[in-house]
Amino acid sequence: MGKFIGKAVKRREDARFLKGAGKYTDDIKLPKMTQAAFVRSPYAHAKILSIDTSEAKNADGVVAVYTAQDGCGEYGVPCGWQVDFKNGETMREPQHPLLAKDKIRHLGEAVAIVIAESLEQARDAAELVEVDYEELPAVTDPKKAMEEGAPLVHDQWEDNAAFDWCIGNDRAEVEAALENAHHVTEMEYINQRVAPNAIEPRSYIADYDVNTDKWTLYTSTQNPHLIRLLLCAFVLGIPEHKVRVVSYDVGGGFGSKIYHYTEEAILTWVSKEIGRPVKWTSDRSEAFLTDAHGRDHVVHSKMGFDKDGKIVAHLTDEYCGMGAYLSTFAPAVPTYLHGTLFQGVYTTPLIHLNVVGPFTHAVPVDAYRGAGRPEATYLLERIISKAAKEMNMDPAELRFKNFIPPFDGVKESGYQTQVALQYDSGNYHGTLERGLEMLGYEDFRKEQSEARKNGRLLGVGISTYIEACGIAPSAVVGSLGARAGLYEVGHVRVQPTGKVSVYTGAHSHGQGHETVFAQFVADKLGIPMDDVQIEHGDTEQVAFGMGTYGSRSLAVGGSAIIKSIEKVLEKGAKIAAHKLEAAEEDLEYAEGKWTVKGTDKSISFGDVSLTAYVPHDYPEGLEPGLDYSSFYDPANFTYPFGTHIAVVEVDPDTGKVDLKRFVACDDVGNVMNPMIVDGQIHGGVVQGIGQALLEEVVYDESGQMITGSYMDYAMPRADDVPMIETDRTVTPCPHNPLGVKGAGEAGAIGSTPAVVSAVVDALSHLGVTDIQMPLTPQRVWKAMQN
Amino acid sequence: MISHKMKINGKYDINASSDVIWKMILDPEVLEKITPGIKSLETTDTDTYKAVSEVKIGPVKGAFNGNLSIKDKKEKESCLLVIDQKSKIGNVVAEIGIKLAPSEETNTEIQYTGEAKLSGKLAVMGQRIMSGVVSTLSKQFFKALEKEIENK
Amino acid sequence: MQISTTINGKTYSHDIEPRISLAHYLREILDLTGTHIGCDTSGCGACTVNLNGMAVKSCTLLAVQADGGEITTIEGMADGNTMHPIQEAFKEHHGLQCGFCTPGMVMTAADIIKNNPNPTEEEIRHGLEGNFCRCTGYHNIVKSIQHAAEKLNS
Repeated sequence: MGKFIGKAVKRREDARFLKGAGKYTDDIKLPKMTQAAFVRSPYAHAKILSIDTSEAKNADGVVAVYTAQDGCGEYGVPCGWQVDFKNGETMREPQHPLLAKDKIRHLGEAVAIVIAESLEQARDAAELVEVDYEELPAVTDPKKAMEEGAPLVHDQWEDNAAFDWCIGNDRAEVEAALENAHHVTEMEYINQRVAPNAIEPRSYIADYDVNTDKWTLYTSTQNPHLIRLLLCAFVLGIPEHKVRVVSYDVGGGFGSKIYHYTEEAILTWVSKEIGRPVKWTSDRSEAFLTDAHGRDHVVHSKMGFDKDGKIVAHLTDEYCGMGAYLSTFAPAVPTYLHGTLFQGVYTTPLIHLNVVGPFTHAVPVDAYRGAGRPEATYLLERIISKAAKEMNMDPAELRFKNFIPPFDGVKESGYQTQVALQYDSGNYHGTLERGLEMLGYEDFRKEQSEARKNGRLLGVGISTYIEACGIAPSAVVGSLGARAGLYEVGHVRVQPTGKVSVYTGAHSHGQGHETVFAQFVADKLGIPMDDVQIEHGDTEQVAFGMGTYGSRSLAVGGSAIIKSIEKVLEKGAKIAAHKLEAAEEDLEYAEGKWTVKGTDKSISFGDVSLTAYVPHDYPEGLEPGLDYSSFYDPANFTYPFGTHIAVVEVDPDTGKVDLKRFVACDDVGNVMNPMIVDGQIHGGVVQGIGQALLEEVVYDESGQMITGSYMDYAMPRADDVPMIETDRTVTPCPHNPLGVKGAGEAGAIGSTPAVVSAVVDALSHLGVTDIQMPLTPQRVWKAMQN
Repeated sequence: MISHKMKINGKYDINASSDVIWKMILDPEVLEKITPGIKSLETTDTDTYKAVSEVKIGPVKGAFNGNLSIKDKKEKESCLLVIDQKSKIGNVVAEIGIKLAPSEETNTEIQYTGEAKLSGKLAVMGQRIMSGVVSTLSKQFFKALEKEIENK
Repeated sequence: MQISTTINGKTYSHDIEPRISLAHYLREILDLTGTHIGCDTSGCGACTVNLNGMAVKSCTLLAVQADGGEITTIEGMADGNTMHPIQEAFKEHHGLQCGFCTPGMVMTAADIIKNNPNPTEEEIRHGLEGNFCRCTGYHNIVKSIQHAAEKLNS
């Protein structure tokens, strides 16, 4: 620990946000900027018979109107991850056009873009575009999409499967073990489609400069370099060095702002066509219709136990909807980010998961906070809690019985799972013990049985999750189908005065990188935090980067910065040795200066920096300057874990769930800033609670979305949730220099099953064994009546 | 999956014989007058019309156009109203059964039951308030019908 | 239409299209971009400003409805470089992450405390019902408002 690492340092980004001086994309205005509006399909599945733009083109203030027939029809956005069929057939990958050409495949798909002088004019003119459609039958349920005779989303293939994939042990072996199991617990449910709902809607400005033949794309993205790479190399075919992508302040992402969306590509194209900047900002309705959604798994699972309650086998079949097209990382989410977590924190010897990924007439899904791991955790934690009830065991006891024993990844090696991954370090007993203690578990059980006598319905639910984050080793993800490397870049530029500019390829959209990264940089260099500036979000400042998602910023991005700091100190030592007329090995570096061991002879970091740039008295043969950039490619994923426990009370008359307490004991490895880690856990937990109790994107049978506004889509509000009680254990990551594991997704991964299990526990004496999410009062009440 | 067909049900009592009402509601000139928001109604075939209308109630506002036809006619008793209207804010396809039954001495009760399928913004944004809109429009329609009968 | 308003102590007069919202007026015409638009149905509260002493959602209020009114936006909360005690409390207690809902939260918090100088946790949560935050889980926002109220009362 140093002066700043591990301290609750207040955030330096807060002042601008609190004063209303943040710089979000929609806040930017450029000279001569035009505004865009899209004409979107009112149908989920339809043939486009004709489009008439003549009236719109003549409307007031209109600069241009484009359809797929107007030169941009050949372009499509790519998918970044290939998941093939288990029989070897290549993943089916349809073109995802920027504007629909002859067929509509999901509600809200764009058919035309209208550019005008003002937003009102663009929107008015968009209403004048006449599109003649022939509506076709639609399918939005992933399982129904695979039924015989289901409407085809892409009719070049005989069915709707994008892939059919499996992982784990041999299916027959797993089936046989289930046959012979002492007890088998079975579950069938839907892990429902949810909308990420970052409060800032997506916003883009494309600005083509004819004089330099360069584009600037201002975009609300989590990964500017990735957007530039996809846009240039895979969509428009424009040279990468001609495009600058800028992502200043971004109002939340939760995954939904990772992907390369059609709108940012077409705006880039349009800007050159019209020779002016063009802006588009989504409104909330468009966000519901076009932002990538999350989850959408239809699950059937069986888990077998021996007579002592030890898990012997786990077999699962899932249909995981992809939506109408394959979004950037979509195929990876229900496969490599999901199936690889089916070991959970348990010693299950035999595991098999089969996933069919069907196209549906719905907006594409992609990674949403946790991406695949919340779905895996939900299944494991719910089925174990259900099994405990069935076998008349305590859910905590059943978990202790099946936990993988503690291992630190240094003395003991990592834990090899049945599903490809090797866990880095873990102590799963530790967080459950602490979680139960925080809750006062035994006392609660007494209170619960007393309450039942009085007709009060109290319940407790436990979830002991693990996740894989710090995504990820490039070679590993490459072998699993990723089409990008997942390293990170950290550039440390020491200025002549000893002030330090750090450029990171990670991107902050709420995580507080400007503060946390400065904390460890200042500590490692022994300089004041005020001497460190963190820059991100501009491809012309930062050499390269893969961005922020998968709880990777500190574990991967932080490590890249550490590598550059090491290089700076290594060179600094050479300069210091020269100036101090000592041997390098006789120097030590602490508190911002090199000292000759055992003497008071020293030289400060600032003096060494100045010498590096004014190299008059300088080591022979050494290059001037003190400026290093590093790429860090991690050796493994990181594996945070923890215990979440929910306490609920169900209203016996209405079925309304009152979440009374929520206890979270997480282990995210070493902690740089506990205030920020707690904040990440709070937010994640509440998002997970949202899925458990409130949130669901509902399409009707013709593919119309009937939850397309905040009047219809319920998200947690302040009075839906209690204070979140947090604590930690610390099991450092053994393979990165900071020993950190990542905290961004943990909350959302652990909390959902805890809440559902708590409600089921409250009603178990009424014979309730499971309730479909979200647990609305209506559903809970119905479950109580049956 | 939640079905998203909107139910349309109601009844209205009018002081007139079923004979009078029957004639009125099959007369395109009357229909053009009494249907709320209607701009034009053009007969394209027997009992089939091309309708252009503009509806504006609260946040629901749009210019609709499309077909309107009357099927399964049973003289003075019942018919089926088939509506297929398109607009920039979404489309409406509806089938509404209309029944006329004498009530009291000189009155007739008009019952209507049916379903409407909505798409586009109407469905995404408007579905929660659409049943209110439909009930307002129905009331306006029957009030106008009543007035028209009084004026004859 | 001609409207005149006093915003953060300055008077403004503009000839505007009658259909534009107050949020649009603030952001596009006055460049007061601290007021954010997160939805179009008054659901998220990111656009909350104070109009004539009351917290209102500026995205569903027409600018012309604010004619003659006195408005405080987030830009008017701090006194130069000195932040308002509510802003200070949000910073001190990590009541914000991405910052997008924050202006609306601060404006709503000011309204809660104005109407109820000693709000309980429950009253604060109830008062925040019209404001979405997707980052913080509300925990630290509630804490920030509790501390701000204490400070303002001391």
